[in-house]
Amino acid sequence: MIVAAKKPIEEIIEQVKGLRSVLVLGCNECVTVCEAGGKKEVGVLASALRMYFLQQGREVNVGEHTLERQCDTEYLEEIRNNIDAYEAVVSLACGVGIQFTAERYPSKPVYPGVNTCFMGAALERGVWAERCQGCGSCILASTGAVCPVTRCAKRLLNGPCGGSTAGKCEISKDVDCAWQLIVDRLKTLGRLEDYETLCPVKDWSTDRAGGPRKVIREDLRS
Amino acid sequence: MALKQKFDAGKFVILAEMEPPKGVDGSAMVSHAKRVKERVDAFFIPEMNHAVMRMSALGGAMLLQREGMETIMQICCRDRNRLALQGDLLAAGACGVANIAVVDGEDPSYGDHHQARPVHDINTLELLNAIQGLKEGRDLAGVEITGSPAFLAGSTTHAGARGRSTELELEEIERRSEAGARFFVTPPVFDPELIRPFLQRMDSRRTILIPTVLLLKSLGMARYMERNMPHIFLPPAIIERIQRAPDKVRECVRIAIELVSALKAQGVKAVMLSTLGWEHKLADIVEAL
Ligand code: SF4
Ligand code: SF4
Repeated sequence: MIVAAKKPIEEIIEQVKGLRSVLVLGCNECVTVCEAGGKKEVGVLASALRMYFLQQGREVNVGEHTLERQCDTEYLEEIRNNIDAYEAVVSLACGVGIQFTAERYPSKPVYPGVNTCFMGAALERGVWAERCQGCGSCILASTGAVCPVTRCAKRLLNGPCGGSTAGKCEISKDVDCAWQLIVDRLKTLGRLEDYETLCPVKDWSTDRAGGPRKVIREDLRS
Repeated sequence: MALKQKFDAGKFVILAEMEPPKGVDGSAMVSHAKRVKERVDAFFIPEMNHAVMRMSALGGAMLLQREGMETIMQICCRDRNRLALQGDLLAAGACGVANIAVVDGEDPSYGDHHQARPVHDINTLELLNAIQGLKEGRDLAGVEITGSPAFLAGSTTHAGARGRSTELELEEIERRSEAGARFFVTPPVFDPELIRPFLQRMDSRRTILIPTVLLLKSLGMARYMERNMPHIFLPPAIIERIQRAPDKVRECVRIAIELVSALKAQGVKAVMLSTLGWEHKLADIVEAL
């Protein structure tokens, strides 16, 4: 999923402090699971903003709403009839949802309420870790399903650098060395010979090298 | 007299683009440059133009500098992060390069290594600021350096390009000038009228506009540019001229010479001649100026 972290409240207040009304808009998908922008967080942020405006002695209408998905035009239609009651929107969706909301409502200012961080998963309650950078040409088949693009600090594709120590990455003793993980996993799978195969110089044109990307499925287009 | 002094004195300056070799044999580059060095004030060394891999601008600049020719070294943000950019700037400064032109650089998809990952850690404006910082004795991390370079910095502008707002372009020139850029190289100009508004509004004591005069090589090239490079205005009269000329190459050289004269008459303080692989034709142009 897409993992996001809450933006500091001061930063959000800075964005909205001059408004007379604002809609806090959550999303029921990834940001709900990573507890940064679901219905619960919408409620918490809206209350904090009301409190702030009250302290300022200002009457500001702070609305709350959570959509099934903000990255889906269909669901975004749900607020069509009441969005005009608000001067602006604070979106707690990921960067995709925030932009989709803005694209759907071109004259409405939309501010980010979260920092979108990465594609990852929860290691335990309250701890999320990155697992994929969407490089557009997956090489997990040869790396024992451990992604060196994401998990190696240097994105090395042919074995570890000289800094790998006792299974940890040179950048921090709290970070596993991706190549240690890959070798361990290949060993477990009895496929250590994969490690001997040289990975060709990566084609980064499917990553961001070719600019913003699109996936086009002609068979699905109407 | 060094380039900076010539700019300061308001002298008319001729620059010539000299692309470094794709390989280690720099003899052609050096001999082309030597042939015209008396009439060219400085050689402009591009940094892997159009994202085609070749010798770095620093290497190319060194080949000419060691033969006593002044260069403007281009540095681009596409291929290096802030460490490497600053490191190469220090190397250039220590090796005697006095002039730096900053660009963002075209995307690798234009070039011959289209699978390469572009860097763009910092952009033109930030790099200009970094150069300013180095000149003042500090790197981008704020750490003091030993011995500062005394670069004359510059950049590019889309002045004279079609489909661009003059206002926005002037604003961008101003932004870059505040970040330390003194000269601004334009895309190829074929109609001097297009840069008139810029000349009128730029103070040449502060910011120097350097129109590029591109040597057309054939009717095909002119037509190709006309069709495929919408930002460049190639007047139909020029295409007709080449079409009618019995010796097309001579006509193209003549067009370049006339353009330089027309630009000079209009008050530009510098031009950059770009011959794109036809550096052997540079002499024909500069000797007629
Ligand atoms: S190789 Fe690319 S697509 Fe596969 S997990 Fe890593 S970043 Fe994601
Ligand atoms: S120590 Fe391991 S994970 Fe860290 S940079 Fe080196 S190879 Fe990559």
